[in-house]
Amino acid sequence: MAARDGLVLALPKGRILTEIGPVMRRAGIEPETAFADPEARQLRFTTSDEALSIIRVRSFDVATFVAFGAAQLGIAGSDVLMEFDYRELYAPLDLKVGLCRLVAAEPADLASDDDPSRWSHVRVATKYPRLTRRHFAARGVQAECVKLHGAVELAPSLGLCRRIVDLVSSGATLQANQLVEVEHIADISARLVVNRAALKTRAEEVGGWIERFRKAIDGAPAA
Amino acid sequence: MDDLAKKALLPAGLQDLLPPDAAVEAAVAERLLACFARFGYERVKPPLVEFEEGLLDGTGAGLANQTFRLMDPVSQRMMAVRSDMTPQVARIAATRLSHSPRPLRLSYAGDILRVRGSELRPERQFGQVGIEMIGASAPAGDAEVILLAVEALKSLDVSGLAVDLNSPTLVTAELDALALEDAARARLRQALDRKEAAEVAALGGPAADLLGGLVAATGPAKSALGALAGLDLPTAAQGAAETLAAVARIVHEAAPDIILTVDPVEQRGFEYQTGVSFTVFARGVRGELGRGGGYPVGFEARRAGPAEAAVGCTLYLDSLLRALPRGERGRRIFLPAGTAWAAGDSLRADGWITVAGLAPVDDAVAEAGRLGCSHLWAGGRVQPTDGQV
Repeated sequence: MAARDGLVLALPKGRILTEIGPVMRRAGIEPETAFADPEARQLRFTTSDEALSIIRVRSFDVATFVAFGAAQLGIAGSDVLMEFDYRELYAPLDLKVGLCRLVAAEPADLASDDDPSRWSHVRVATKYPRLTRRHFAARGVQAECVKLHGAVELAPSLGLCRRIVDLVSSGATLQANQLVEVEHIADISARLVVNRAALKTRAEEVGGWIERFRKAIDGAPAA
Repeated sequence: MDDLAKKALLPAGLQDLLPPDAAVEAAVAERLLACFARFGYERVKPPLVEFEEGLLDGTGAGLANQTFRLMDPVSQRMMAVRSDMTPQVARIAATRLSHSPRPLRLSYAGDILRVRGSELRPERQFGQVGIEMIGASAPAGDAEVILLAVEALKSLDVSGLAVDLNSPTLVTAELDALALEDAARARLRQALDRKEAAEVAALGGPAADLLGGLVAATGPAKSALGALAGLDLPTAAQGAAETLAAVARIVHEAAPDIILTVDPVEQRGFEYQTGVSFTVFARGVRGELGRGGGYPVGFEARRAGPAEAAVGCTLYLDSLLRALPRGERGRRIFLPAGTAWAAGDSLRADGWITVAGLAPVDDAVAEAGRLGCSHLWAGGRVQPTDGQV
């Protein structure tokens, strides 16, 4: 019963995970050693705080686990939050890590004489179909999305479709695939998310963690 | 898909309730209504379907895109299936019961149908049980409805109850004062809904500090109300904040054991409400058990005088069933074929559920077990099927 009564923090695998290590340490969370081992088959980890355990899931699943209350806290990129727009999630803190941009890109030779403001319909390969449709609809463009789970940059060169919407940090991947950014959609950073019902029914505990993370990103060690 | 599977498949979001869940749901609704009745709330029963313009007027307007419509072949007018019962009760209060003494206390129970489920509640049809007080005055009316919802849930042994108090007009007043364009307002509203403090600060313009203060004034009632009182609210919002504090005080005094939180920026689903709104949660239960708040009663177009203030609360039966322990089937006894009717009578009077055999069987004990009975009637007395006495 103790495990059920504790709080669960959902963390995303990949890009963000390495960057949030320092923030977590400043918030006073030391995961068990297996957590640092990428080969570990374990999915759930204990921490130095016995009332908090960690689960490691795919970045898109963080939002889902927290929205459904399976985890009370989570860290997710704002790209994921924008894609799902779950009502049951609050995103009270910008952790200011995992910084990147969400952009529309196309092959350099196409971009040379393409004017995005004249688009009426685009076909786009992306991990973010809902967000993409919403973004383009807001400026009067109908977006037809091909949903991919990764390697989005391959799509134009292999003729899947000419344009993509994806995350860019350094721009190296775009360049390597002869793609150029044609439209900036949003600036992305990692957010602390909390489940709505958990924040209401366990206001002190969950609020306490939000406060610890707030202090951690302000740089001061948590009290 | 074979023929049987095709018949079994229901449209998305619709389901059959089986034993014992169907009985539990009915019993839960009955107990809630009985609790409301003890506090003077009398039951009304509106129809499933009404004319569209009546159902979607006033407080119902927000549900237009969640409502199924059908053409009435008789009147040739568009009808709508209720997607919420509150607008129906408000209509009854404003029309047929407009001359009944105020405050008018009404209760109701029934199923509603929605076009789409939500992530947490994929059900498109679910049961609502609720109360409405028409001609309510703040803060006593608000507090009564909240306390009664809490009382009713306690009578079902729901534990870890939490009530979140909101004041949707607080933020609306702020946003109105900012006079933003629609798109900017929508972005700010979304940031407030998600409690994104950084975005609120960036988008809030001259009101950024105040809105940020409202976001920060969220949490356990005591600290949140303290923070709210410390804010330099505009005159229009001060009354709302004071009412919120007064309601919180009365509720806390009467029910100190529940978790009481305050969230002055929560507004989703409360767009048409005025005064104090609230949401009921239970620890460990996914989603909301119920919600309610104040709203104006009266038909928008034909309203003669000022709208009446009303406050109500709706509890969701599907969420409640998830919060409650699984139902018991009761003590069942098997009466072999030929048992005298009178013998069954006295057993039923003792609280047994009797299950009668229709034809003689060789092994009555096995038959009792097959039919889910823990006991059988044999040799003129009650005998357990497992052979022990």
